[in-house]
Amino acid sequence: MDLTDDEMTKNTLLKEIGKCRACRFCVDVCPAYQATEWVESMAPYGRLQIIKYLLNGTLDEDDPLVYSLYTCLQCGRCDLLCKAKGQDLEVSNLIRMGKCLLSQGLVKGKKNEKV
Amino acid sequence: MDVNIPKLAKDLAKIVGKDHVFTDKPTSVVYAKDTMPWDVEEKNIPYAVVRPSNSQEVSKLLKYANEKLIPVHIHGSGTSLVGLARPKTKGIVLDTARMKEIKVYPERGYFEAGPGLHLVQVKKELAKYNAMLPLFPGSELVATVGGTVAVNTSAHGVDAALGKPGDFVLGFEVVLPTGEIIHTGTESTRRAAGIDPTKFFIGSEGLLGVLTLIRMRLLPMPYFEHLVAYYKRTEDILDTVMEMYRQGIHPPLFYEFLDERAAKIGFEAVGLKEPVGAVSMMRIHSWSKVGSEERAQNFLKFLEVGNPIEARIVKDIDEWNQIWSSRAEAGNYMYRLGMTFGSEISPRVDKLKDAFREAQSLILNLDSYKGNEFISFGHIGAPTIHAYAFIRTKDISNEVKKAITLEMREKTEELNIKYGGCGGEWGLTAQRVSFLKKKYEKEVYEVLVKLKKTLDPNDILNRGNLQGWI
Repeated sequence: MDLTDDEMTKNTLLKEIGKCRACRFCVDVCPAYQATEWVESMAPYGRLQIIKYLLNGTLDEDDPLVYSLYTCLQCGRCDLLCKAKGQDLEVSNLIRMGKCLLSQGLVKGKKNEKV
Repeated sequence: MDVNIPKLAKDLAKIVGKDHVFTDKPTSVVYAKDTMPWDVEEKNIPYAVVRPSNSQEVSKLLKYANEKLIPVHIHGSGTSLVGLARPKTKGIVLDTARMKEIKVYPERGYFEAGPGLHLVQVKKELAKYNAMLPLFPGSELVATVGGTVAVNTSAHGVDAALGKPGDFVLGFEVVLPTGEIIHTGTESTRRAAGIDPTKFFIGSEGLLGVLTLIRMRLLPMPYFEHLVAYYKRTEDILDTVMEMYRQGIHPPLFYEFLDERAAKIGFEAVGLKEPVGAVSMMRIHSWSKVGSEERAQNFLKFLEVGNPIEARIVKDIDEWNQIWSSRAEAGNYMYRLGMTFGSEISPRVDKLKDAFREAQSLILNLDSYKGNEFISFGHIGAPTIHAYAFIRTKDISNEVKKAITLEMREKTEELNIKYGGCGGEWGLTAQRVSFLKKKYEKEVYEVLVKLKKTLDPNDILNRGNLQGWI
């Protein structure tokens, strides 16, 4: 059976984020993490975990604060850290993909008051 | 336990302000996750994450938790490799991230730091005073000073070269589990003799109180020299370490190694030519330039006992940084290629080779997984054996990951008992309680439980870690 684009994106995200070791080396370089006074759900590591647990059903698109995905500025600093010291993930791109999936879900009628 | 979350959020907001209380599930999941290889389960996900800014707020929070009988789990940066950072039961996560103040008093010979500072931030601040932070976790980018002292981890540092983090702690401000704020130790550079409660909290793993201020002696920045040695076999490195202690040679500050497999992976990851066999790398320190150079020359000569293919002093700091990265980030580089399941064995040093061989055999004959490889790297000069089961896939179920972790823990505990060690880096409670019970007389564990009960009668702080809950 052919997979839809969304299903392929979901599979890619789960596979790639599954490589994250939760080392958190990426958090300090994130401007949003700094601006929020170091809240981990507002850091690259946290956003990856939120996408993973959204996709595996632990979190719901209606859960408040999934909007932390939208705090990513796409500056790419986390990518450099992950490449040098972590798992060499394209962190910011994964967050962008996760954000797109979430947005599509919300457009299709799932609500999230905070968003 | 039935907890009304909106009510809890309101109560906690009165203590720390509403901007610093999170009861949303995404944030709770993020704080529950740590480096343990299996996914977070519902029981690990806290009701709330709270971020106090000072000891008064911590005090109010703990008094509230005692009144409501809600467990509180302390969170530094969540980098523990053995599950210290994962809440074992529903409760409140107390994040220390906002307690980041640092004051350096060169005229008093110490500095004071909030627990939530990342080590790299402390290092930067101390460098302005030409002082060295004697804390050496590989996770220094993000590991907190509170967490490092609370575990009293040696990490890269060789204990016999400089000591452990706790040896530099002069005193604490601590909030007891029942909310009282106490101060311990001294403002002199002369540490207390006799019974000093400071010692109870060094390495207490968050079971006995929340460290809200850490006072540490300023240590002048030493001069460093670096060495690298290439060997045909790991066993040559083990022989060298054993001989170093036998001859009574002062060990290098860092004495690390990569076994044959780890060296290939680590060197390739940092763009270095693949070595023939195993590699060891050393950092030598002294408080005079001449002294560090002399020590390095002497150690280079000593290294001949292990018949290295090549051993040399590395003067080019960029080259050293590249070589060091191959080791410092080895854990992450291995993980890129699959899954790693680690262990920590610190044998009596004259038994290092026997313990290493047994660890290798044990890991190649696991019951919970077949077909894994053995890989080892780490602080061999300490001596610590990090024996890893290395599996070149991530496609392993949570159940199997758990089974491998538990089997390795149980079997390497036996090696620590057989060869007289107890670790020295990863901590002794969370998930290693079975080891404590096997290694020592039953009274030892009972003493710890009594100490915990005395200070924390409602078992509020880090519940489950002293019980050995997974």
